[in-house]
Amino acid sequence: MEPLTKNTPLESFINHKNETGMQCGNYSIDLPELKEGEQYRFHFDATACVGCHCCEVACNEQNGNPDDIKWRRVGEMEAGQFPDTLQLFNSMSCNHCIDPECLKGCPTNAYIKLENGIVFHDDPNCIGCQYCTWNCPYEVPTFNADRGIVTKCHMCVDKLEAGQTPACVQACPSNAINIEVVNVDKWLNEDMAKEGVAPHLPDIEITKPTTRYTLPELPEGAEFKPADEHILKPAHPEWPLVFMTVLTQTSVGAFLALFLGQLLYSLGFNLPKPNATMAFMALLPAAIGLPLSALHLGRPAKAMWAMRNYKTSWLSREAIALGAFAGIAGLVWLLYLLDFNGFFKLLVEAIGVGIGIYGIYAQSMIYRIKARPAWNRESTTKRFFGSGYVGFLLISLALLASSGANGAVVLLSVTLLAGALQHLIINDEVNFYKYLSKENPLYYQLNRTKTLLDERFKKVKTARVHSLRLFGVALPLLAIVFAASGQSGLALFVVTIATIGAFASEIMGRFLFYSTVVPLGLAGNFFAGNQR
Amino acid sequence: MKFIKKIKNFLDKDIKEDEYALVDDPIFGKVSKAKAPDKWVRTTCGYCGVGCGMYVGVKDGKGVYSKGDPKHPVNQGTLCPKGLSEHKMVTAPSRAKGALIRKDGVLKQAKWDEAFSTVAKKFKEISAKHGSKAISVISTGQLLTEEFYTLGKFVQLGLRTNNYDGNTTLCMASAVMGYKQTFGSDGPVGCYEDFEKADVIMLIGANIADNHPILKLHLMKNKKNKKIIVVDPRKCKTAQMADTFLPIKPRSDLALINGLCYIILEQGWEDEKFINERTSGFKEFKKHILANYKPQDVAEITGIDVKTLYSVARDYAMAESAMSAWTMGVNQSALGTDTVSAINNLALITGNLGKEGGSPMSITGQCNAMGTREFGFTSSIPGYRDYKNDAHREEFANIVGVDVDLVPTERGYAYPQIIDAIDRGEIKALWVVATNPLVSYPDQNRLRSALKKLDILVVQDAFLSDTAQIADVVFGAATWSEKEGCYTNSERRCNWAKQAVEPYEDTMSDFNIIKEFSKHFEGVHDMLYKNIQTPRDAFEEMGRVSKGRLCDYSGMSYELMEELGGIQWPCNEQYPKGKKRLYTEEMPCPTSDGKAKLLPLDWKPLSENVCESFPLILNTGRTVEQFHTRTKTGTIGILNALAPEAWIEMNELDAQKLQVKSGDRISISGNRGRVDNVVVKVANTVREGNIFVPFHFNEQLINAITLPEFDEKSFEPNYKQCAVQLHSQKVPNGIVLKQAEIMGEIAYQREEKDVENLATEETTIKS
Repeated sequence: MEPLTKNTPLESFINHKNETGMQCGNYSIDLPELKEGEQYRFHFDATACVGCHCCEVACNEQNGNPDDIKWRRVGEMEAGQFPDTLQLFNSMSCNHCIDPECLKGCPTNAYIKLENGIVFHDDPNCIGCQYCTWNCPYEVPTFNADRGIVTKCHMCVDKLEAGQTPACVQACPSNAINIEVVNVDKWLNEDMAKEGVAPHLPDIEITKPTTRYTLPELPEGAEFKPADEHILKPAHPEWPLVFMTVLTQTSVGAFLALFLGQLLYSLGFNLPKPNATMAFMALLPAAIGLPLSALHLGRPAKAMWAMRNYKTSWLSREAIALGAFAGIAGLVWLLYLLDFNGFFKLLVEAIGVGIGIYGIYAQSMIYRIKARPAWNRESTTKRFFGSGYVGFLLISLALLASSGANGAVVLLSVTLLAGALQHLIINDEVNFYKYLSKENPLYYQLNRTKTLLDERFKKVKTARVHSLRLFGVALPLLAIVFAASGQSGLALFVVTIATIGAFASEIMGRFLFYSTVVPLGLAGNFFAGNQR
Repeated sequence: MKFIKKIKNFLDKDIKEDEYALVDDPIFGKVSKAKAPDKWVRTTCGYCGVGCGMYVGVKDGKGVYSKGDPKHPVNQGTLCPKGLSEHKMVTAPSRAKGALIRKDGVLKQAKWDEAFSTVAKKFKEISAKHGSKAISVISTGQLLTEEFYTLGKFVQLGLRTNNYDGNTTLCMASAVMGYKQTFGSDGPVGCYEDFEKADVIMLIGANIADNHPILKLHLMKNKKNKKIIVVDPRKCKTAQMADTFLPIKPRSDLALINGLCYIILEQGWEDEKFINERTSGFKEFKKHILANYKPQDVAEITGIDVKTLYSVARDYAMAESAMSAWTMGVNQSALGTDTVSAINNLALITGNLGKEGGSPMSITGQCNAMGTREFGFTSSIPGYRDYKNDAHREEFANIVGVDVDLVPTERGYAYPQIIDAIDRGEIKALWVVATNPLVSYPDQNRLRSALKKLDILVVQDAFLSDTAQIADVVFGAATWSEKEGCYTNSERRCNWAKQAVEPYEDTMSDFNIIKEFSKHFEGVHDMLYKNIQTPRDAFEEMGRVSKGRLCDYSGMSYELMEELGGIQWPCNEQYPKGKKRLYTEEMPCPTSDGKAKLLPLDWKPLSENVCESFPLILNTGRTVEQFHTRTKTGTIGILNALAPEAWIEMNELDAQKLQVKSGDRISISGNRGRVDNVVVKVANTVREGNIFVPFHFNEQLINAITLPEFDEKSFEPNYKQCAVQLHSQKVPNGIVLKQAEIMGEIAYQREEKDVENLATEETTIKS
């Protein structure tokens, strides 16, 4: 036998088969050719895993990732009483789902479901919007700030194609991770419900994951406690998005008010004629807000790529619709400046309203995702539209400033109505968490959101609720009283305060919206949490 | 310009495709392009005693990759998370950069020559004034065997002090003494292949999942309908693998093993033929066991019910082959040596010695604890020779060419005795090599006050460890991958570890440090190292020294080790490729009659049991992400983030009493000290009344509390049991001891159902 010192060619490793027939340890892998309707998938054997973290380290070493970017993580759970305690580990990277939410939501089409079933992230096409990191119920995609893009597990596809073993599979000393071939239809129809599930994992129906689990016998009714239960950190506040959403919603609200004013005026109601200042007020928030949103991207210069996937991504639809809305709002302002009147302006405004409403709807649908239970509620859409009352306040302000109390009562009444509606919506939301039921299948995540709201952000939450009452309801009412009694100066003063206050209130509310969401995902580690 | 560049990079970031790309490596296939190695060097891992074969990828003279060798019989391509990231610790900023001397209270970089002459001068002064034995040395299990051999010669024959011991006394000494008691010599008898071939595998106090994950590979390869029995007071990760988990009360293992022997002897399940032919002392042994370890009593001591004891005894005795493997749960005990021998007893009466899948097997904690046992010159003369045997002394003196009078006639102080002697003022100088007592030694408060009494503390280490930081002189050493030699693993496998990169900054290999240092003592270098220029020369001398001994290296060479993936000694003309198992049928034990000894051994209760002030038993141990005192793994981000600090693992019932939950901070106190601000981990992996704390951490220094009680034969500390109290914010006075439990223990009664169970067991067996 020739000493390995003299040469250690790859050939010798590829030919190396240990007697066990195990995939682990081997640098080469034999996989059958994929037939029609088949794909590759991971098998994870929880009865073999001892939670040694080899797979995590091997993955990072293979892919040159920094310590905090982990494509593979090992979750830890525990159930039962001593000595019948059951510790359960779950080593997970990507589940290479059949119905991947990351892919559907990606606005730039940066995700590709390869023919072999691997969900591949095409790095150059990514703009770092991180929408996939929200959409994946397993929190698989990770944002690499150093690169300004999201990256994720690709099952070492380049290695697989060359007959080489993926790093995690190779490194596992327990042979707990394997690559298998799965028939997609059979999996969906027969096996997934039994073998695709593991404790503390999201509903398989969300993305139809392909990972097969071998689990130890789980005691009936065993409650698995994730090792990171005690770690509850707020989600990223997403400041650019806080401002962008509130500002665009304000804009659409204001534009609606402008349109209604124009409509009623055109219909011959005895109301003041809308003017260029009002049109500018309707444009301004969106004009500030939309570019702001690019700041949350890893690659802001590539923001326009976000419009590419209008077929399946609400993010693309929002970008297109709100982009168009801002354009129309600009055109309308121009028409007012040129004092262009007539049906065409009304038509343009009507189209603007339609597109704006659709834009806000699309915007809200971005958050109606199963991976984030606190967002995936009707109230999200309602709240997003509800914030439009700030726009009404803005137009009221412009009206009071330009025309005095004349006709302002009508607009202020509508404004009050809008503010009261938002108050109702938020009140409902407060009550939802107050009476949160343990029977709710998403209780774990929703209750953590509740804890964040009631403990960590108690002051902000209190301020939000009270400020809405004050600035959204009480002050508009007071303004009506002043306007109706001809005190236009006082009315203007009150509306100015209300507008600023209401805007601040909505910003607080939106901050809470982003910060207190608790995503679905893998159980974490005692110290490191779920490492997302 | 810079600002514009910054803006540009913010708006249109470089996604660094090239840096994150993969590239084809001719040896290992696709690797990360940013660190694609120029060459791969085949070597051996320098962490634990499993002894994995690996390749280090080197790029521009720096280690960039660690990969498991698929052809190595130990790990077959796998590595644990520490091994996989081993190259990273080599350039950690906490490395010592060479020689350091304390000047005006601060350690300052110095020339090697100055450091050596400073220490040599001091050592000579002390030697002249107080005698050479006022100098003491505490070494390690981390050096290469050639370095141990070189160091041992220098200390014993050059410095002429036998007050020399290793940190191996803190981990493997009980196994050493237990093997000596039973088989007449140190030397692990089994091999990893036994995990693969055994029908029954009993893991006693061995949390391999956390400590030796690669051994799981051998368990996974076992395709038999095997039975895994795990004996542990904690439902640790390893216990999750068990078919039968025996949650024994803390340190009742010796009673458990004796109890199993009782049942086997009572039922006549023993291997009579084996006992007659291969063992001595059976009669007294049987008498002792039958008189003292009745199942009911053992059930009481261990907390394992009689029925389970019978079923485990039967499983073990009836198995074609049964293996027992243990580590620190057994060794780190005041009864460690005898517990090891008791495990040997059980193996012997069931005929599980020297056969496939049948052996008692100690699993070593350090990469080369074995090397220091074979050639370290601490508790024995190199080549497993006895100080008290004049022929052995003569033989050794002749081979190495020194006057026999230089070879000590007895072992000097063991590690704890050295600390005591420092405290008494008898020892004035301490030279610590590659170990970190300031984290690892029990009863820290006493240790630290003792060390203050030294005239000089020299620390030789690759890292500026806690102990190095209080040293007067630091010899900054090269570490794994920067030097050459061999390591012996738990199964007696000698592996070649090659140099892959140059030593860090101004560091030197321990081999060179010792040789250079010895030149500062007149005539010593010429006497000891005349023919030893390189580690290979030392290796060849080791071959001559061990020829004909049990740990025979005479048939080995570095090249053969590489070819075979390590060699299990003895390796000589009779066994040219080494030997998997000791004491096979044709191989007698190194006892006077060639037989293994069955020994009557006694369990004793804890010396420091729970009391009103300290109602909890503290257990200490490891976690997979960290190694020893974290000098290495603490520098590796991905590992350290998973376990950055110690925690107190407690049962939810105790947590309720203390009104704490996971994540809260708590204090722990004992007879010797107190540690504050330790994070609580509520986990039912420990029983009510027991807590677990990992020992790796210097900030939450649990060894400030552990018990300085030592095994009388091995001097190993009883780390794993001492009485403590916890103090939470809401319950500052801690847990109140339940008196009822103690009453119950005295008034134990055999229940009718136990008798019935016994009867059924017997009929089942007979039928």
